[in-house]
Amino acid sequence: MTKNFKNRWVDYLVFGLSLFLLFCLIFESYIELPRLVAWVGRWHPLLIHFPIVLLLICAFLGLMNKKIPKVLLTFSVLTALLTAISGFFLGQENSANGELLFWHQWLGGALALLAAVWYWLEGIQFDKPIFNKALQVILVGLIIFTGHYGGMVTHGEDFLALPIEKREAEIPENPLIYDDVVARILDKKCVSCHNPNKKKGELLMTSLDNLLAGGEVRNTVVPGNPQESEIIRRLHLPFEDEEHMPPEGKQPLDPNEIQILERWISLGASDTLRIQHLEPSEPLVDLINELMMPDPMEKWAKLPIVADSTLRRLSSDYVTIRRVAAGINAVSVNLYKSPTYRLAQLTSLQSIAEHIVQLDASGLPIGQEEMNFFASCPNLEWLEIDQTPITDVEMDTLKVLSKLKMLKVYNTPIGDQSIPVLKKMEALKQVYLWNTAMSVDALRDLQKEKPALFIDSGIDEELQASFVGSDSIPKN
Amino acid sequence: MKEQQDKSENPLKVNRRHFFSQLSVGIGSLALGSLLIPDLFKGASNDLALEQPLGIPHFAPKAKRIIYLFQAGAPSQLETFDYKPILRKRMGEDLPESIRKGQRLTNMTANQDKFPLMPPKIGFKQHGQSQTWISDFFPHIAKIADDITVVRSMHTEAINHDPAITFFQTGSQISGRPSMGSWLSYGLGSENKNLPSFVVLTSRGKGNSQGLYSKLWSSGFLDSKHQGVLLRSGKDPVLYLNDPDGISRSDKRHLLDHVSSLNKLHHVETGDDEIESRIAQYEMAYRMQMSVPDVMDISKEPQSIIDLYGEDCQVPGTYAANALQARRLAENGVRFIQLYHQGWDQHGNLHNEMAGQAKDVDQASAALVLDLKQRGMLDDTLVVWGGEFGRGNYAQGKFDPENYGRDHHPKAFSIWMAGGGIKPGLNYGQTDEFGYNVVENPVHINDFHATLMHQMGLDHEQLIYKYQGRRFRLTDVAGNVIKDLLA
Repeated sequence: MTKNFKNRWVDYLVFGLSLFLLFCLIFESYIELPRLVAWVGRWHPLLIHFPIVLLLICAFLGLMNKKIPKVLLTFSVLTALLTAISGFFLGQENSANGELLFWHQWLGGALALLAAVWYWLEGIQFDKPIFNKALQVILVGLIIFTGHYGGMVTHGEDFLALPIEKREAEIPENPLIYDDVVARILDKKCVSCHNPNKKKGELLMTSLDNLLAGGEVRNTVVPGNPQESEIIRRLHLPFEDEEHMPPEGKQPLDPNEIQILERWISLGASDTLRIQHLEPSEPLVDLINELMMPDPMEKWAKLPIVADSTLRRLSSDYVTIRRVAAGINAVSVNLYKSPTYRLAQLTSLQSIAEHIVQLDASGLPIGQEEMNFFASCPNLEWLEIDQTPITDVEMDTLKVLSKLKMLKVYNTPIGDQSIPVLKKMEALKQVYLWNTAMSVDALRDLQKEKPALFIDSGIDEELQASFVGSDSIPKN
Repeated sequence: MKEQQDKSENPLKVNRRHFFSQLSVGIGSLALGSLLIPDLFKGASNDLALEQPLGIPHFAPKAKRIIYLFQAGAPSQLETFDYKPILRKRMGEDLPESIRKGQRLTNMTANQDKFPLMPPKIGFKQHGQSQTWISDFFPHIAKIADDITVVRSMHTEAINHDPAITFFQTGSQISGRPSMGSWLSYGLGSENKNLPSFVVLTSRGKGNSQGLYSKLWSSGFLDSKHQGVLLRSGKDPVLYLNDPDGISRSDKRHLLDHVSSLNKLHHVETGDDEIESRIAQYEMAYRMQMSVPDVMDISKEPQSIIDLYGEDCQVPGTYAANALQARRLAENGVRFIQLYHQGWDQHGNLHNEMAGQAKDVDQASAALVLDLKQRGMLDDTLVVWGGEFGRGNYAQGKFDPENYGRDHHPKAFSIWMAGGGIKPGLNYGQTDEFGYNVVENPVHINDFHATLMHQMGLDHEQLIYKYQGRRFRLTDVAGNVIKDLLA
């Protein structure tokens, strides 16, 4: 075996391949590949494994002052050269000529040529261990970097990034339609293939100018004319269609997002337009508002798991406990009037207190103990204690409910002293207060302090009056 | 999911698929086969219908309950919410064929040689910020114009009452499918274990009436516990619910316990699920002995509420009384409250009959919306008002603007909705200038069902029941959620 490899033709082969590689790299821009040669490039992802492993083994043996079998080194160098050449072909074929590919190509080329130098040095029995070691260290470094860049070309730049919590930037109030909405959609669904590194179809989608400039197809975005815009046409193609974007296997845009892009283009594809500039009747306003609406379930995602069996055990004929939706650990609790209502029915729920987000105790003979329980539910958002005998004294207990959004206390004897409690509830959005002892002035004061709060103090008196003794048949 | 487990408890409840799916676990070769083709031995327990757990909404619901104020007999859209001034301008002219397009008619007018356009005798005005056109028949509903959404582009396929109302209630013109309320009960479970989750209340106006049959609130092939319960007016809202004289409640309890243990024995023998349903229904009835009289007793309602709904609400069996009852049932966790008010079938004497019908329902319908609103219940209660189809824009029979009638018309009609996450104050959909065809934003009954289910937190494509080898949905193979209607 060894004899065979001493044959000069192996040396010629290495020399020839190196020369060819060098030629390719230098005259890259003049090269036009025949189809069959381009096909050779497809073997690059297969070949690549050989030089990585073999060269690393050689370098390892060399650095450990072990003898490197000549066969091994020869194989390593040959595969390295073939890999580099096939890689060059593949790179030529791929139009996505990005920065990543540039670095991968030159580092890979350097790596293969350096390996050839090593082969030559071994051949002439060059014996300066310090030089050999340095060469081996550089080789290992090149393998790491070339491999890394190659990985980024195929798998995307953030493939190795630590799994950080992917939180989309929140859309600010009065967003810029392009920056805060359109670009956000494009970033999420398009830019992974249309960026400076991967430029599919010669199209960049990273800025408005790039979008307007288009790619292979010029009319990617035609301001004011979604029908003529290539991007909209492709979004609307059936999924099976070759030209549908995003292509098979990538997450498609949802209908809402497509509509946003369409409306934005028909409004002129501007990057200075803000939502406030739009007429309220403009459909884009609703579309964006919907997008801005946070997922109502997200806030409960961190609640610990509560078992169905627990909920069943705590339920009874007069206590209904239900999940807010499937797979959500937030529950609503409904207490119904029963001939045998006991406080224990409520306090037995203490173990799931943090899961309770809605609670209906309307019409029950509740008192201080029950109110203490309500106050111990930190995530309570919705509380119905209307038509109960609670008074200002007990109401005070509820001031700790910082997440409470909806409170029904109509038909109760509470009065003006409960106003400060309501003022303290930061999240409160709706409160139902009719038929209580609250004075008009106190309610006005509350409204002044919390202008966004919806206060229902019953049916408008005038409206109510018009319902009394009136007749549906018009007199004519 | 739970239902399926219950079924498999009984050793006799084994079907062929079940048998094979069990067998596949035990026998090595079959197990290997199932590894290679994961679906190979998928038994009934992995059916599509069970991918979503039952009894829990699929996503966060906007509405927790629906009150459906069904106007049986089909009120004319042209005398309620769809104002078409051209009918007066071109009064008596023949309906252009370009509009009618050979539309199928009932045999009541199919043989007419002329279809003279007939304007409404009643006036129309625009009301509220939303500038909603509402006829003068409804002065109270006019006052809540900004709380309701009028859909003027409803359409259906049926042209006669029974198929049309069956379509609205069950999603199919042919009887036998479960009613909408039953589907919701099946999908969402019951909220209050002491009351049925689906309740029906009926009333009748003086206008021309069509029959109402209990098939409209039947549970079809679903478990009979999902069936609507008709609450009657008067002393016994539910027949035979009260104990006979001389039987105490504890006697009743003993009786039920014994009957139940006998039933359980029988269930072990036969594995018939309906026996379990029966046991559950006895228990429900026992609890309803306490809960129903309490819910039905309106004597504690304050005068202001009585004034709001109108004097009629103290007369059991009236629409007003039912509307007030509906609010009380809604407060007590009934999921689907179906009212029917009969008498809207005006083939003749339309103006006078509609005036009477409108008087029955106008104030109480508006009062219900206002009452729910002041209780903060309009946010999570969806109120629907409407009939099974519309009425033609031409006179039926003799042309007499003083005393006219209108035949059935499926291609366009109006309903309104309020609350439950529906955009308030919206005017949705349009008909052509003759009020005959929908020209903008059509809403088919399947779409309507899909939207209602969506508001209740159910995906209409996911709530499926497999029966006789075929999968069924309320919307069957059609229906789109009308997103534009959602707040």
